[in-house]
Amino acid sequence: MIVSFVLTLVICFKITMKTTTDGLFPLCKIDRAFPSSIDLIHGFSLGSIATYGTIIPQSPLVEIGKEFTATCVLYKAAKATAEDIFWMLKNVTVPKEQYTKINDSAVSVTITITNETANWLFCKKKGSPSSLNLIQVIHGIILTKGYPPEKPMNLSCMAVQSGRRISSNVTCTWQPGTRDERLKTTYTLFGNLIVSNKSSNAHRSSGYIDFGTFPSFMELAMWVEVENKLGKVRSDILDIYASDLVKTNPPSDVNIISENNFSRTILVSWKHPIHVTYVTLKYNIRFCTVGSGEWTEVPPNDTESYKESFRLQYLKPDTEYVVQVRCMHHMGNGYWSDWSANTTARTPEDKPTSKPDLWRVVIPSQVKSERRVQVMCKDPVESNGRIRGYSIKIQDGNWETVAVNDSDLDSRSQERKIIPLYQIPWSDKRRGLIELKAWNSVGESPQASLVIPKLTEEPPSVESLSWFTQEGRLWVKWQPPNVIATGEPYRSEVTEYVLECVSVSDGAMDWQREHRHTRTAAIKGNLQKFIRYNISVYPMYSGWTGKPLTIAAFLEQGAPLEGPSVKVRRRGKNYAELEWMEIPLDKQRGFITNYTIFFITGGKEHSIVVSTDTYSYTVKRMASNSKYVVRVMASTVQGSTNSSDLSFNTLMYTPGQIEVIVVSVCISFLFSVVLTVLCIYKMDSIKKKIWPPVPDPSNSTIAKWSPDFPSKADTPKESALGDVSIAEVDVFDRKSLCEEDKAGLPLKKDKYLSEEHSSGIGGSSCLSSPHQSVSDSDEGGDEGQTTASTVQYSSVVASCGYKGQTPCPLPQSGSSQMPSFARSESTQPLLDSEEHPEGPGSHQRYLRNPYFGRLPGRNDSHSGDLEDLNQMEMKKQGLASRQFCPLEEDFQQTTPTEECQSPDGQPGSDPSYMPQLSGYRPQC
Amino acid sequence: MSGHVKNMYPQLSISQAARTLLSLLLVAAIDSVNAGVACRNQQCRSPIQRSSKLTRLIHMESVDLLKIYKASQGDMSELFCQMPNDIVPDPNISGLDPSERMLSIYSHCKAFLPHLKRVTEQQRDLQPPSSPLLNNLTTAQYRTSGLANQINCIYQTLFPNLPIPLEPVDGRTSIYPSQNVFQQKVYGCVVLKNFKELLSQITHELRTIKNQMCKSRTFAYTNALF
Repeated sequence: MIVSFVLTLVICFKITMKTTTDGLFPLCKIDRAFPSSIDLIHGFSLGSIATYGTIIPQSPLVEIGKEFTATCVLYKAAKATAEDIFWMLKNVTVPKEQYTKINDSAVSVTITITNETANWLFCKKKGSPSSLNLIQVIHGIILTKGYPPEKPMNLSCMAVQSGRRISSNVTCTWQPGTRDERLKTTYTLFGNLIVSNKSSNAHRSSGYIDFGTFPSFMELAMWVEVENKLGKVRSDILDIYASDLVKTNPPSDVNIISENNFSRTILVSWKHPIHVTYVTLKYNIRFCTVGSGEWTEVPPNDTESYKESFRLQYLKPDTEYVVQVRCMHHMGNGYWSDWSANTTARTPEDKPTSKPDLWRVVIPSQVKSERRVQVMCKDPVESNGRIRGYSIKIQDGNWETVAVNDSDLDSRSQERKIIPLYQIPWSDKRRGLIELKAWNSVGESPQASLVIPKLTEEPPSVESLSWFTQEGRLWVKWQPPNVIATGEPYRSEVTEYVLECVSVSDGAMDWQREHRHTRTAAIKGNLQKFIRYNISVYPMYSGWTGKPLTIAAFLEQGAPLEGPSVKVRRRGKNYAELEWMEIPLDKQRGFITNYTIFFITGGKEHSIVVSTDTYSYTVKRMASNSKYVVRVMASTVQGSTNSSDLSFNTLMYTPGQIEVIVVSVCISFLFSVVLTVLCIYKMDSIKKKIWPPVPDPSNSTIAKWSPDFPSKADTPKESALGDVSIAEVDVFDRKSLCEEDKAGLPLKKDKYLSEEHSSGIGGSSCLSSPHQSVSDSDEGGDEGQTTASTVQYSSVVASCGYKGQTPCPLPQSGSSQMPSFARSESTQPLLDSEEHPEGPGSHQRYLRNPYFGRLPGRNDSHSGDLEDLNQMEMKKQGLASRQFCPLEEDFQQTTPTEECQSPDGQPGSDPSYMPQLSGYRPQC
Repeated sequence: MSGHVKNMYPQLSISQAARTLLSLLLVAAIDSVNAGVACRNQQCRSPIQRSSKLTRLIHMESVDLLKIYKASQGDMSELFCQMPNDIVPDPNISGLDPSERMLSIYSHCKAFLPHLKRVTEQQRDLQPPSSPLLNNLTTAQYRTSGLANQINCIYQTLFPNLPIPLEPVDGRTSIYPSQNVFQQKVYGCVVLKNFKELLSQITHELRTIKNQMCKSRTFAYTNALF
């Protein structure tokens, strides 16, 4: 038993190793070749390696698109039946429908191989419920997928010349299959001759066979075989005569011979690249002028024969030609050789065979009734050599010769240069004929002529002229002139048209001639983009130059090179006039279609589009005293270009507004001055007008009348002092008021201030105060309210300070002094005279004499009176103060208010009555 | 060189036997090829023209070959070519009618092949490997073999009812005795000179046959004649 186990291990190890190299899982691969071993491993397993069965076939090559059948065979160790077997392609279970039960221990599966089919195919069995692994792998195989080889197509072979013979190597190319070659594929090229068979390995699409000696004039069979593990396929056999595979070298020693007397032909010679016994060749020749690149091929029939020279004909004189030659089998079999290297030669000169291109440019002259004519020309188209000079004759003059320097003209260049010949003054009334001939080293050209007519007899111009671009070229289109000319000095038929093209930028000009039936022509020459050209069409009448019709055109338009130059011409409070210059023509690069004005203020941009002929614009409705940024954009059909930004401020005032204000102010000032002077001079009369003279009661006879002086002294002091005191306070400053208060306190006039104010004319009086009404209402509010519209005449004889602003004098004795209040119920408006009643019946406590409102010390006629009055009152007050102010010291100590201070903040000095500074006394 | 020959003598006998065997095998191979030659073109003019061109090519190359041979043999090369040699086939084409002359062309081509081969082998011992003579000799064999096959095809095409004898009609292809260097040089020169002459005659004959057989007769008429 132990020996059997060891033997089994050895066998299984060997098989495992082999299987691993095949790319399988390390499964123990044991097939029917080892029945004894199978029997030995009953009930054994080696780690994860188990030998439950096998799959037939092993490691198969499968063809994509075909069906493949594999069979799983169970061993006894599997302890399973065919019912337990299932197949998996990698991780996908193959449906049961594809299974075929062969017997109790074998099941086959058939699958269709595709590109997506997994490479691994597993045979598995369902494990017993008691086992750890419910599913166990019996065996697995890897499917190597691929396609069978594809048939090569289009086999062709070639044998090139090597030295003086044909190379023994025959190279073939073919088109391989298009499918992906998954499998290793070999290509073999076969060549079969009667005398020998050859083969060689080849690449996928090419190969060669070395025959040792090229089988000239022998039949040859060539084919390709393609083989891989899925099959072998052979291309079609190429039965061919070996000579048909030949590609020789190009002809050697190609030479061109130019002969002097044959200016339009050259002789081409060459040598055969290979001996005629190998290949009989035919040739092919092509030629072109130097630089053109447009080859002209000699008709093949002319060079079919086996020759070594050929004469090219119908060439241009004095032109350098390039010639190439090639060859191939004369029967057309095989391949053309490569072209030989370039060989160049120049044909000899011949005399010019066409006219020089004569033209003129009329230059306006500053001399009246005269022009200047610039005569110019181009070489004849068929100059047939280098033009050495020109012979020119003007009208009846002699022929003059104009030699052309070598540096001025190079007939070998493709471009025909313009040669200025003469510039002569030409009268407007002169008609003349200009004749011109060109000559080279061989001879003269035919004669060209041009008539310059009188200014008044110029033939008509074309009817209309337009332009367009097409395929990168500039075209002009015109309508022929409507000529109904009889009796004119020129023939009425247009013989040709001359198109003159002048560059605006640099003044370069060129002209070209068109057939008389032409109506549309492309401008020749090297026109530049974005350049403005003036194109003129001249109808020609048998040498007579008609009037031109000119139009501006662009080959291609673009955005202007620069924007217009903008400046502010004028600006005002609400407008600005902008002005810009036209962009120079050479910088416009197109037709200006419009201008767009952009102006920006406060971060907002506005634009205005104006026409192309506008070069100034007034922007209106601008904000005054604001900063504006302005630019002007010039536009063409292809783009726009902005000018540089221009900043400016609008004005604060319109022009003249400042002057009006200044003048007004000056006038007002002047008026004020005059008025003031007048007032000063007319003060008395004005004063009299405003303040009519009031009789001074003090000067009245009654006042002076004093029959009994003591009686006057018996007048109650209260009344007399009160009147005087109040008048003093009202007129002078607060200091005085303090003094007054001090004087008034003993009088115990609690409401004298209110009384004083309320003595005005209700609300209309400047002396009235709402506080008065309040204080009044305390006494009789209802009545005050109901009689608000009436003028109350009232008078307070004596009262305390209003609402405590002025402290009431403390009662010195037990008998309080009640204020007397008199009130008038009259609603009659006050008159000046009434407001200051002089009648003895009134209870006027003090006089509101207007004079009291005036500043003391004013120089007027009554100043003396007032001083007298004041002095008198001051005397009275001083007397009263000495008599009615016992609490003066207490008051000053207990109520040290500002009112009792001087205006400069210093406490008042001795209580005295100072002149009042204002008309009314402010309340303390 | 003589020493070389002397030393090589025993080897020559061995190699000669081998060469003889190879020659027999080559002849057998050519014969077998001949027996199975598939002549594709059943027309008249083109095969003859092509054979004529091939003949001219071989002839041109044989001229060059003879020059190269003489140049590569050193001094006395002209003398070698003037000496008679009986074992080299006669280059003259024999026969009275086209079929016989065609058959004679074929037989001569076949007859010269072993001689060319033998000269090639001899010169391979006498010339450096890079000598163009060897290459040209090989080319001559190659082309001559091809020409023989073409003649065979033409013969079968023109004379389908006349069998081609397995052995050449004239010329000997027997095994030749061993030769020293002098004899080899003489032999080689004579072979090449006769070979050139043969090709010249074949060129002439083919032109004649073409004119006779393809000018006015159709293929069917030719078959009826023979």
